Amino acid sequence: MSDSSTGAGGKGVPFRNPGWAGNTGEYDLTEEQVRGLDYVGTRPVEGGHPGASATYPYMLTARSPEAPLFEGPYQERFGKIRSRFPTAQGALLPTLNLAQEVRGHVSQETMREVAALLGLSDAYVRGVASFYTMYNKREVGRFLIQVCTNISCNLCGGDEVLAAFLEHTGTELGEVSADGLFTVMEVECLAACGTPTAVQINSRYFENVTPEGVPALLDRLRSEVN
Amino acid sequence: MAYPYTHEKEVRVLSRGWGDPRTRTLEGWKAMGGYTALPKALGMSRAEVIDEVKASGLRGRGGAGFPTGIKWSFMPGDKKGAHYLCCNADESEPGTFKDRELLRWTPHQLIEGCLIGAYAIQADHVFIYCRGEFFEATQVLSRAVEEAYEAGYIGKDILGSGHDIDITVFAGAGAYICGEETALMNSIEGRRGLPRVKPPFPAAVGLFGKPTTINNVETLSSIPHIVNNGGSWYRQWGSEKSPGTKLFCVSGHVRRPGNYELPLGFPLEELIYDVCGGFREGRSLKAVIPGGSSVPIMSAADCAGCLLDYEGVVERGSMLGCASVIIMDDSTNIVKQVRRMVDFYAHESCGQCTPCREGTQWLSRILVRIEHGRGTEEDLDTLLELGNQMTGTTICVLSDSAAAPVASSIQKFRDDYLALIRRGEKVGAA
Repeated sequence: MSDSSTGAGGKGVPFRNPGWAGNTGEYDLTEEQVRGLDYVGTRPVEGGHPGASATYPYMLTARSPEAPLFEGPYQERFGKIRSRFPTAQGALLPTLNLAQEVRGHVSQETMREVAALLGLSDAYVRGVASFYTMYNKREVGRFLIQVCTNISCNLCGGDEVLAAFLEHTGTELGEVSADGLFTVMEVECLAACGTPTAVQINSRYFENVTPEGVPALLDRLRSEVN
Repeated sequence: MAYPYTHEKEVRVLSRGWGDPRTRTLEGWKAMGGYTALPKALGMSRAEVIDEVKASGLRGRGGAGFPTGIKWSFMPGDKKGAHYLCCNADESEPGTFKDRELLRWTPHQLIEGCLIGAYAIQADHVFIYCRGEFFEATQVLSRAVEEAYEAGYIGKDILGSGHDIDITVFAGAGAYICGEETALMNSIEGRRGLPRVKPPFPAAVGLFGKPTTINNVETLSSIPHIVNNGGSWYRQWGSEKSPGTKLFCVSGHVRRPGNYELPLGFPLEELIYDVCGGFREGRSLKAVIPGGSSVPIMSAADCAGCLLDYEGVVERGSMLGCASVIIMDDSTNIVKQVRRMVDFYAHESCGQCTPCREGTQWLSRILVRIEHGRGTEEDLDTLLELGNQMTGTTICVLSDSAAAPVASSIQKFRDDYLALIRRGEKVGAA
């Protein structure tokens, strides 16, 4: 398997999509075109149009756990989010998303700040935040690697891909690697079942990932933060 | 420029622009004939729009297959306060991967469908609930929403019609249960995603307590085509009860997995062997799950002559669901895969109802025991009894969905279970 089978490949490199048995044809598009980056461009931190303001990345590589949450452009974005809901409580999930985008995880302290901002009780916010799996309750590596092992990926080797990520990052499930870069987790179906194994790394999808392709994919991630 | 999975037997109505990045843009979508259905619909009465959708026979593509036009007609005619339309883009059913493609390749198609739907049910505000993991697809949709606002298709007085319709893209946070329509509404309200007891139905008391309709991405994406071409045009494909085209999400052990848009009623075997290229050398069909992990599993014998529409799959003891066809060859360890699906339901149970919260955990534990050679034949009876107690006893159907693959696999693949149980007995005796 070439590097491209992991979805790796930078700007201008054709994004191959060989599929599980190597017989599904391929895109002649660049990775940017497949991901839609060429169309989306850089979305403004302050949220753009209010209708789209609630949809920002839930995991960034750059994060600061101590940073203030609702200042400057983030305050502006919060205002836009809030304007879309008839109740303050309605803005809770997007506000928690925003907090995680800035800080990388949602600590109890963060939940208290969100509760105060929206006029909700701490216990209520904790009850909601703990219900949803995408809110990290503790710190995770700069790259949160989530490997699908549900049925469609499992049939095509999802367990082996997960094992390869654990081996090559030298971590146990859910733990942060010694260099702080990686946390590997198992995830439920990512809705990319036709291109197994599907892996979500922070906000990006990687498809057709094979155990052999894992080292190259990790190298790509390392190169992105160096 | 071909989308990686195309086949000459496909009828590409919804998926026509997939694989072409130009389709994403407002300009590209208009070049493909987009945004002609919206002004047409706005020039019709609401009743005419609903009648056209009724005439098409379009059935909800989220899994239940309820006729969309009839669902819309449940909304109150005399509007007293806010009405909402929710688009369910919380695609999380294992085996389903069509909505992500609709979001990232043809976002304007969905937006246009949402606007027409909102007009028909007098909704002022549309929430598109995307699953949180779909960050990239959601960004594309968000950009498209911004473009459509700039062009005056969304917002105040759209296209000078005097109607105000807003669209908000909402990102979930990782909970399968939020794909259940009442849990989805709770999630938008900033609550835990717990399904609500029905009645009251959403058309009476829905989002923020207001009349609400919830439609799947694929359903709403079909609307512009039906409005433009008419209900009878849509009926040229499929059968009397299941008209139109459907996106089939094929995954598992076939040479060419992927999304294929085919007329409803397409033969399952033709899908497997022709469209998807069949199996690897030397492998053969063992089992098919035709509608995502929530529906009963089918044996190879069940598949013979099976037609893929809502009725045809029911005849074979399963359901079409959202047409997420998971195909397994003879190398598959059925018990392991069933256990993996049950683990999923155990993880995703919201915990509200005891039969589901406890039952999914027990199913999982017993299946693990069998998988590792520590099971007994009585365990199979226990599993079936548990499944019975989990079916029809809870607020939503997650519990039923967890039980379905267990009961059907024991019925169809009992020998697979017995082989694991006997292997364990032999090891134990040695």
